[in-house]
Amino acid sequence: MRVTTSLLLLLAVAGPAAAGPLDTPGAPQALVCSACHGFGGQSRSNTMPILAGIAPWYFKKAIQDYAAGKRPSPEMEPYAKMVLQSGVDDIAAYFAAQARTASPVKPDDPAAVERGRAAAVQCTLCHGVSGKGDPSKGVPDLTGQPPGYLRNQMLLFKADRRSPGDEQLKAVKTLMRTIPDEQIADLAAYWSSVR
Amino acid sequence: MTQSTRREFLRTSSWAGLGLFAAAGCAPKVADFAQKPGRRVVVIGGGWGGASAAKYVRLADPSIEVILLEPNKEFVSCPFSNLVLSGVRTIESLTFNYDRLRAQGVKVLHETATMIEPEARRVRVGNDALPYDRLIVSPGVEFQWDQVEGLAAAQDRVLHAWKAGPQTVELARQLQAMPDGGVFVLTIPPAAYRCPPGPYERTCQVAWYLKNSKPKSKLIVLDANPNLVSKAALFRAAWANYPNIEYRGSNKVVKVDPGAREVTTELGDKVKYDVLNLIPPQRAGTIAVTADLVGADKRWCEVNHLTYESVKHKNIHVIGDSTIGLPVPKSGNIANAMGKICAVAVASLLNDKPVPTMAPGNTCYSWVSDREAIAVVNSYKIEGDKVVQIEQKLTPGQSEAWAQNAVGWANSIWQDMLG
Repeated sequence: MRVTTSLLLLLAVAGPAAAGPLDTPGAPQALVCSACHGFGGQSRSNTMPILAGIAPWYFKKAIQDYAAGKRPSPEMEPYAKMVLQSGVDDIAAYFAAQARTASPVKPDDPAAVERGRAAAVQCTLCHGVSGKGDPSKGVPDLTGQPPGYLRNQMLLFKADRRSPGDEQLKAVKTLMRTIPDEQIADLAAYWSSVR
Repeated sequence: MTQSTRREFLRTSSWAGLGLFAAAGCAPKVADFAQKPGRRVVVIGGGWGGASAAKYVRLADPSIEVILLEPNKEFVSCPFSNLVLSGVRTIESLTFNYDRLRAQGVKVLHETATMIEPEARRVRVGNDALPYDRLIVSPGVEFQWDQVEGLAAAQDRVLHAWKAGPQTVELARQLQAMPDGGVFVLTIPPAAYRCPPGPYERTCQVAWYLKNSKPKSKLIVLDANPNLVSKAALFRAAWANYPNIEYRGSNKVVKVDPGAREVTTELGDKVKYDVLNLIPPQRAGTIAVTADLVGADKRWCEVNHLTYESVKHKNIHVIGDSTIGLPVPKSGNIANAMGKICAVAVASLLNDKPVPTMAPGNTCYSWVSDREAIAVVNSYKIEGDKVVQIEQKLTPGQSEAWAQNAVGWANSIWQDMLG
């Protein structure tokens, strides 16, 4: 009983807890994102991209392009303007600091991953064999993102509905126009599976 | 929880009594309720707002004890429940338990809060009392049964299906049982009510079902408002595919006679029905009214836009559909956003830290058929201590792609609120 009482006293005098996961700059402002992108940017759905571990340069470019209407999205345009007003640098740093857990979403067709692997060499020229990209050339990391999100982006490139006129994206759009839609789904399945 | 175990919990929930069990690290379930002095948050209501708030108080400061009072054992999502009427989704696919919220350290009690004592900072649960340091009230809406003559006495027969659950399933059953050639009447209350586009999405889903399964049937929509309250042009475009819809604006229903299967409008028009879905006028959940949290209108609660603290009572915060005065819709997404912001504010206040400036956002999809959706998105900022809108954006039309995004949104936000 004496031991228990001492423990109780210890509990009673213990001060406020150490800094919590929401105490970092940008974390409170990023909470509005978690409705769709998951807490800490760990999206678990098929269509919303994972923001955890995202390179700050890529996050900021995406936000700026959405806000300017270059990446037309009725969902993201209002939120991108909100992020710019509430501090894009802090929010970008917050998401970049989160450890990424790969998407749990599996493609509808399990064979798609292997078909995608066989066709993925065309992506590796820019994104590397690892698929991790090259920040110095403005090439993003593809790995572990949800397959639905990757597929949708490739289809937007193919139809030139993502950032039309963006010089940096010329090569990827030219490539996408040569790839049939079914193979785009296979590539999405493969890169989603890469860790 | 039985009456006796509940009493036992409430009686032993003084921090010292329960600390014994907690320190011993073993023992009965009541040990979970050990209270640390000055660090307890009680949340009333485990819907979109309350569940989100409870989870995020724990995330913001795991040393704060959080007790969630929610009478229902399971959460049923109102968003997507119109798809149960058309048979596109099952109610089971929208039903979740509170286990993952418990895994976040939230103590979920399936009990009804009966009274709030602001001065004593206690919530009454039956004859027992639960002390709090900060209280978050998220009671949703209650129906104003007395606003429609004959409705109070016919609550069991006249369905609202505006709180997803057994009524949703029963309305779907009645729709399926209706003979081809029958008339389905949907009535819409005056704004403000929960989910502004909800009745128009429901119109689409019922019309889609009738078009495919009962082509000789008709859907009459009696709207108390002069025109569609939300996404009007997009819904009107979708309705072009449903000639079975007869929409009548400025047709407030004031009387229902279930015996004669007839409703009467303010203008005196009588409309016969085979199946009726009467969505009654609404106000803040009852506990908000009895606790004097509502304003002069006796319907809704005014709050501080940064902390969601009631303007009427200190240490009590109100979130979700019960609030008024912010330029936001009464939606699940807004309640989720308010829950998170309020949670961070409450954790900050309990730690004597400045409250971060945070504004809500709203993403709202509506299904216009079995496979296509439309959306409206609102973002906000804080300006002069008030929430103001930055922008509202609508989808340019309807598409399967937005329906896929709707599914992604639902899967994400259910997880965001429930763990």
